[in-house]
Amino acid sequence: MVEDKRLHKIPDEPVEYPDKHSNDFRGEVKEWGFHFCGYDWDPAEEQFKIYLHYDQLYYWKLAEISKMARGFLDGELWGTQCPKCGDKFFPPRVNCWNLDCELEKTEWVRLKPEGHVHTFTIAGWSGKSSLKRLPFVLAYVVIDGCKTAVANELRGLDPWDAEFGMPVKVVWAPKEQRRGAITDFWFEPADGWKPSPMTPEKERIKELCQPVYEWVKTLK
Amino acid sequence: MSRRVCIAGGATTPFGYPMHITPEAMIANCVVETQHDIPDFHLRDIQFMVYSHFSVHFGKQLCPEWIVHDHLGLVGVPHFRVENGGNTGGSALYAAFLAVKSGMFDVVGVAGWETMDNVTQSQGSEFIALASDTRYEALAGGIYPIYYAAMAYKFMKEHDLREEDFALAAIKNRNYAVDNPKSQWYRGEYRKYKRDLTVEDVMKSRLISYPLKRYDCCLMSRGGAFALVTTEEWAKKHSDGKYVVIDGAGLSSCTIRAGDRLAFPGWTERYGEGYPDMTEFAACRSSGEMAYKMAGIDFKRAYKEIDVAEIHDAFSSSEVQIYKALYWCDKENIKEFLRERRTFMEGDLPVNPGGGLMGFGHPVGATGIMSAIEAYYQLTDQIPKKHFSSKTYVRDAQTALVNSHAGTGTSISNFILRRP
Repeated sequence: MVEDKRLHKIPDEPVEYPDKHSNDFRGEVKEWGFHFCGYDWDPAEEQFKIYLHYDQLYYWKLAEISKMARGFLDGELWGTQCPKCGDKFFPPRVNCWNLDCELEKTEWVRLKPEGHVHTFTIAGWSGKSSLKRLPFVLAYVVIDGCKTAVANELRGLDPWDAEFGMPVKVVWAPKEQRRGAITDFWFEPADGWKPSPMTPEKERIKELCQPVYEWVKTLK
Repeated sequence: MSRRVCIAGGATTPFGYPMHITPEAMIANCVVETQHDIPDFHLRDIQFMVYSHFSVHFGKQLCPEWIVHDHLGLVGVPHFRVENGGNTGGSALYAAFLAVKSGMFDVVGVAGWETMDNVTQSQGSEFIALASDTRYEALAGGIYPIYYAAMAYKFMKEHDLREEDFALAAIKNRNYAVDNPKSQWYRGEYRKYKRDLTVEDVMKSRLISYPLKRYDCCLMSRGGAFALVTTEEWAKKHSDGKYVVIDGAGLSSCTIRAGDRLAFPGWTERYGEGYPDMTEFAACRSSGEMAYKMAGIDFKRAYKEIDVAEIHDAFSSSEVQIYKALYWCDKENIKEFLRERRTFMEGDLPVNPGGGLMGFGHPVGATGIMSAIEAYYQLTDQIPKKHFSSKTYVRDAQTALVNSHAGTGTSISNFILRRP
């Protein structure tokens, strides 16, 4: 084996995971694999349609970025930093992105749970699993001097009050709800931040949001 | 680099949601239509097939190109599939271009499709979002229209634009699609309107993600497309008068997460500090420069040299961002550029007369090929035959640009096509 401090260590198998929570949040989700639920037939056009349901459980092994997920559970935000050029990352990069640093292995650094909004949008539509929480603000936030911005929900304000550059803090979900994922936290306005007065643009956004609130109420 | 590579023919299926036709039948239909245009073309001519298909999730079928390939009777002919997000079509075309340019093959088929009507729209959005970094952005509730909206909002602010400026691209492409019998807008929602769409219609449509509304966004589609990429020798012999030369081809890349391009060293090296940020498409600029250079176009003059373009208008805002990335306008004149409708048919650089993704549709694997075929029809004067009228025909066009775009601008290709 080549010896080089930039190499990532691969643990010997088996990795035991003595602290198991594999079904803590399973809910009603079942694993069926292939499941044919039914069919439709149109005799005039001779068209046949099959209803296929497919469900699969994945085992995402976070390996080198496990420290980030563990941090989420503990309410700590961990990013990485290149010891050569000093660039700091969240989401973490486990090797530096600078070609001159030649894949220098980054070091874990604890981040201050604060940042500012680089850009944002007010979502009125989303993927199937996020429809019920519409409308929401998705903000790209630069956390604690990182060279990157990370996307997450901005809560604790009316969607039309969000602003470019506004200071935000990281807020953690209740401990028992955390599952080591990015959704264990969200952003809220920093303490002391006050929304600016209504403007025609904010009125326009508010007006666009109203039917979304109504529509969400109709979802089962 | 002396060998000239040509598009000698090709076709698209109609696009729809839903639409009842299998991938293999879509490609078979495209081959048949191509044979009507160039009767000399036989499947036996094909030496290599490049398949273009994005998401196997829609069909729950890995390697679906294997079904299409043997269905066409092409056993023994080498093949592979290219998958590169929304730029799958452009990338497959790029692969075919390389294959012919290298001298390995003289006749290469490019066939693409997507079957997005196999799932609901919201599930489809989530499937496509699997091409973003699922550990971070997709999990946080993001789907592509949301990422694009966050980029568009900052772009809008920094250029002092209004929602109405973006809406112009939305109505332009949909209204041109009405002249295209295969377009999803014409075959679908247009039947409700039976009139041109207005800026007001866009402004009134439901919020998708501010500043984007429903009509600022492209369509989800089933559809297929086919292109025949050949040497000039083959094209001249079998498709005389009906071929174009690919004079420039560029492909470039950017970060998967839009938030990672605020200070990426690779971009700082090329374009200086603060580029592309979350507002510009650096991979579009960079691949555009490659294509312009190869075609001998001074990119500051590109706007004057290109007569028609088919570009990746996944969102009205991204069409506008692409104008700037390709040097057609800059921060100073972008407002006039948009408001003077310079990319409409009556302007000096008509964009997406075929309808684009907002009007024709966006069956991902077929899209870039569709754009190339529309541009090919323009330069070979086949538009009056392929569309309902000559309203969307750019007469005497010599040079066309084709653009295909993936992720949040993560992979982008640009091509310059010219009459021989």
